Amino acid sequence: MITPPPPAWLAALQDRFGAVLRTPLARATGTLTAVVVAYDPDAVRDARDAHNATAAERLAVYNRQYWFRLFGVMQTAFPLTTRLLGHWRFNDYAARFLLAHPPHHWALDRVPDGFAPFLAEALDPSDAREALVEAARIDTAWRELFRAPAVAPFRPTAADAARLLDARLVPSPATALVAEHFPLLELKADLASIPGEAPVPAPARLPHPRWWMLLREPDGVRQLPLAPLEGELLALLARHTVRDALARLEAACTEAERDALPSHAQRWLARSVERGFWATLRGGG
Amino acid sequence: MLPRDALGLGLRRPHYTHLFEHWPAVDYFEAISENFLTPALPPRERLDAVRARYPVVLHGVGLNLLGHAPLDEDYLDALGRLADRVDAPFVSDHLCWTGAHGVSHHDLLPTPYVPELIALAAERAAYVQRRLGRPFGLENLSSYVTFARSTMTEWDFYAAVVREAGCSFMLDVNNIYVSSQNHGFDPEDYLRAVDFSRVLQVHVAGHSREADGTLVDTHDHPVPDPVWSLYARAWRMGGPFPTLVEWDERIPPMPVVLAELDRAKGARA
Repeated sequence: MITPPPPAWLAALQDRFGAVLRTPLARATGTLTAVVVAYDPDAVRDARDAHNATAAERLAVYNRQYWFRLFGVMQTAFPLTTRLLGHWRFNDYAARFLLAHPPHHWALDRVPDGFAPFLAEALDPSDAREALVEAARIDTAWRELFRAPAVAPFRPTAADAARLLDARLVPSPATALVAEHFPLLELKADLASIPGEAPVPAPARLPHPRWWMLLREPDGVRQLPLAPLEGELLALLARHTVRDALARLEAACTEAERDALPSHAQRWLARSVERGFWATLRGGG
Repeated sequence: MLPRDALGLGLRRPHYTHLFEHWPAVDYFEAISENFLTPALPPRERLDAVRARYPVVLHGVGLNLLGHAPLDEDYLDALGRLADRVDAPFVSDHLCWTGAHGVSHHDLLPTPYVPELIALAAERAAYVQRRLGRPFGLENLSSYVTFARSTMTEWDFYAAVVREAGCSFMLDVNNIYVSSQNHGFDPEDYLRAVDFSRVLQVHVAGHSREADGTLVDTHDHPVPDPVWSLYARAWRMGGPFPTLVEWDERIPPMPVVLAELDRAKGARA
């Protein structure tokens, strides 16, 4: 494409305007308010006063829109995390994240990318840290399911069976494995019946972790409970060859579990294939 | 192409359940391009289901036509594939910038209106139209600021860009109304600058009023009477043209939005 080069003043004006948009909103009064005195005076001089408002006040409309739009995107992407923190505190973390990682892509659904690890680092000691980190991980898993492309599930051939032990199964991006230490998936299902923006107390830690397989289906996400060892096996299979995964699981088993493991492992593996948990088989040839 | 008097709705996720159960009588839907440009399967499946029953036009918010940086060719590749997939009668986006210096602001932002930018915008718009191989419309913005650097009216700038690009107007009468109230001009002056033979589509929507009286293009209310009046004026000046109702925030049940199409018919009478 050959077009006339944009004038230099346009880049400078857009730089100043962009800085106005990203100016943090003040929280001191208990509502989010634009701080017009923080705007670059040159950006304010770029604009004209209106009949009912100063140029800075009109720039503040854009400033507020920038933040509220992105808060909405972040809240939609992290509904469970938002409710555990409450909207006010969630927005505070979201603002810190967005200041450190402003959006770089036209796709709005990429704005929250990287928030879960950011939050894990940024959480205050006073927060219910472990539950929140897990909530952000569950929200991320849910998001990834919806963002996944169409993927044909792995259906093994005779040749695959021959190389299975030394190959690695690759999970389908339309599935997720969740180990929860707090009953957060239950809470997630209940959120629609808990209106408001106040924080919802984090549930008590479970006596034992619970494993779930999440499967994207045409009408939503199917959530299947897994036996603890079944969950651990699938997690190991996603990271190691089948042979290594089985060996590691066996090593971690109690004596009582070990006897039944071969038949259980075979059944769990077959069931995961039937459910479409895997996308392909790599290596082993 | 769509019938010139077609009435359409913006395709919005909260309406999917109603839509897929009732398949209401709507002439066409307008999809926000960016919602369907990624490889994610669920939105694509839903768009395919809609397209199987209705024409679908595409409306973008991420082209960044007036950004200082060159147009994003990857974005245009994806947009072209999507337009082909739904066989869009036309594609539109905004006469604005949305990001600069590597940051995407996800907002539709105005520039100064100066002759110097007409050629830039027009050549880019013409390029987009050629690259997509289908009619391309530029939408006018709602805006809250004007710039000291501007030397021409928005409508003269807009008309010049469309004329020089050989593309089309995607005229939003709510945006004209909102900007006219915010900047103190007569919205009919705006309409008089429009060559209605080049209008691909007209948008109507609702807006909000801030405490200081500034109107904000929120698309979270029914279309207010002054916007219907301006729409009726546009219809008399240059109708028929395809008309689309947008509702993007605090989205009510689909029958409420469908009722807005009846109001559009009434405004044409």
